[in-house]
Amino acid sequence: MAKWGMVIDLEKCTGCQACSTACQMENNRLPGENYQDVLYYTEGRQPTPTLKWFPRPCMHCEEPSCMHVCPTKATYKTEDGVVLIDWDKCIGCKYCMIACPYGVRFYTDEKPLIEPNIKQVFKGDGDLSWNPPYKGPQQDPKHGVGIQPNGVVSKCNFCYHKISKAPKGTPDLDESNPELVEYVPACVRTCAPKARYFGDLDNPNSQVSRLISDKQGTRLLDHTGNKPQVYYVSGGGAASGAVPGTRSNKKA
Amino acid sequence: MATQTQGSGGAVSAVLMAGLAGLVVSLGIAFFNLLSGGHSAFNTGSDGVSWGLPVVNYVFFALTSTGLTLVASVAMTFGNKAWYPIAKRCVWLSLVTLVAGFASLALELGHPFRMLWAIPLNAQLVSPLNWMGIFYAVFLVLGILKFLRIHNGDWNSSTSKQIGLAALVTELLAGGMLGMAFGAMAMRPMWYGNLVPLYFILTAACTGAAFAVLVTCLSYDSEETMPAQVRTLMRGPLPTAFAGLLGITILVIGYRTVIGLWSNADGLQVWDAIVASPWYWIEAALLIGAFFLLLQRKALALASVMVIGGFFIDRYDFVIGGQLAPLFKGSWVPDLIAYTPSTTEWMLTLLAFSIAFLGWALGEKLLKLDAAPQD
Ligand code: SF4
Ligand code: SF4
Repeated sequence: MAKWGMVIDLEKCTGCQACSTACQMENNRLPGENYQDVLYYTEGRQPTPTLKWFPRPCMHCEEPSCMHVCPTKATYKTEDGVVLIDWDKCIGCKYCMIACPYGVRFYTDEKPLIEPNIKQVFKGDGDLSWNPPYKGPQQDPKHGVGIQPNGVVSKCNFCYHKISKAPKGTPDLDESNPELVEYVPACVRTCAPKARYFGDLDNPNSQVSRLISDKQGTRLLDHTGNKPQVYYVSGGGAASGAVPGTRSNKKA
Repeated sequence: MATQTQGSGGAVSAVLMAGLAGLVVSLGIAFFNLLSGGHSAFNTGSDGVSWGLPVVNYVFFALTSTGLTLVASVAMTFGNKAWYPIAKRCVWLSLVTLVAGFASLALELGHPFRMLWAIPLNAQLVSPLNWMGIFYAVFLVLGILKFLRIHNGDWNSSTSKQIGLAALVTELLAGGMLGMAFGAMAMRPMWYGNLVPLYFILTAACTGAAFAVLVTCLSYDSEETMPAQVRTLMRGPLPTAFAGLLGITILVIGYRTVIGLWSNADGLQVWDAIVASPWYWIEAALLIGAFFLLLQRKALALASVMVIGGFFIDRYDFVIGGQLAPLFKGSWVPDLIAYTPSTTEWMLTLLAFSIAFLGWALGEKLLKLDAAPQD
């Protein structure tokens, strides 16, 4: 079994948010509730502050605290290392949102971020939170894929509807390989400067494994012990991105 | 079976009417808002506070239930007979306060009915929430059984005592698990710590004692009309024990605050905001004021209302405060999240208080809550 993971090269990332947009379309997300987001923060003081950015999907942790706290096992980890939510079991207690150190989970029954309320404009059928004008064909509540129903929590699923169909034993899901492109997560496939890599962390010869060892991949907030399966690499130069050390966005 | 003389019951009737009115108003407004807007009627949010005031209500009342069971156990489990005259009242109140807490929680959950099958069928053994649910559910059954026993005059049979002991143990485990639900969250330093279960049980005992004293005062028109045993208890052992407990708790709260202010750990900056808020100082004034009233055994009803108010603020600061330093959200989320509960959320607070007091007043009218064993 593969252990799917992602590598994000902060030196290549331009902060363009194409990944977030692709994710929004692929996963029928409401504005402001992107599974994948690029966070912006300022470092340094006047007169030389710099704007930094940091792309952040769900980390699909090896030790996911969100899963450990979930009283109904609605949040679970698949054999291939992906953390998913079974929307049919989720009771909307939001304990997982409390327990995730990375703040990547969404409860959708909230005040809208922008007006008009998109959920009112495109009213959802039955239990679904809304009815996007463009929607992906897949609706798989057991794997937290599709339009989010009311009263449950959602998050990035590594585009499980795509990666789970990849041929077994594939070391890397590389969008430049025409045979694999349909299995590549939307954010990886769309990233113009190719800052994202997706592959099998358990395979020492996969590109993700090699990048992590060659470029000394680091993980966000490693002290939490959650052991993300998303790694960040960077050239370390002054201009390149860095993994923020604290969770707060205090302007330094 | 000694059924002691009660006062005219004027206060009980007034509480009953107020509780009924509160129930109707809060349910009416909460249901209207929830049915029309769902949980967007709350001011909670994925980029803000996930557990809002309804969870504060739940924690407050669930722990009060634990505290009331502790107070009842002084006579029923630990054999201090002087405490018998309030034991039945405390057992009843521990049940209605738990129902009050559950009511607020049920209206907060995305799928309260799904919970009824999803937790038992899929129980996640490493989730504190799972165990908390199990222990409170088991307590509800044991508490009802115990109440039925004493209601039928069976205070001292070994079965009755065993049920009482089991109820006490499950309540302590439940309150402790609720503490663990927060205390295990290493990613939220404001909550994290292995002594949080102890803190919860200690503060639970304080709110339990406050409710016990308040409803006992309300049950009789004045101290003069109290039966002799109740008066003796209310003039001596109860306020003394309550004051001791409260004094220790005030110290603990003080140390928690100082540690929070002292430490530089990321996430603890929220303590600066808590201490800068007038509510923190109102809490301090209420609790310290109540402590001195209890020491002097004066104005017990007022002291207990002050303790209830003070600890409600404490629960609020604890539950909400732990979420105010944002996780990784980027620069469009402020350094500290601003959260004010919505009207609907306050209605759930009113609902929980109404259920607790209405439930107590009904019990007082219909269930002879002043009964105590004769020997
Ligand atoms: S990043 Fe958060 S939601 Fe994703 S697996 Fe880790 S703990 Fe769970
Ligand atoms: S909100 Fe749903 S997924 Fe999250 S902990 Fe509760 S039941 Fe589990």
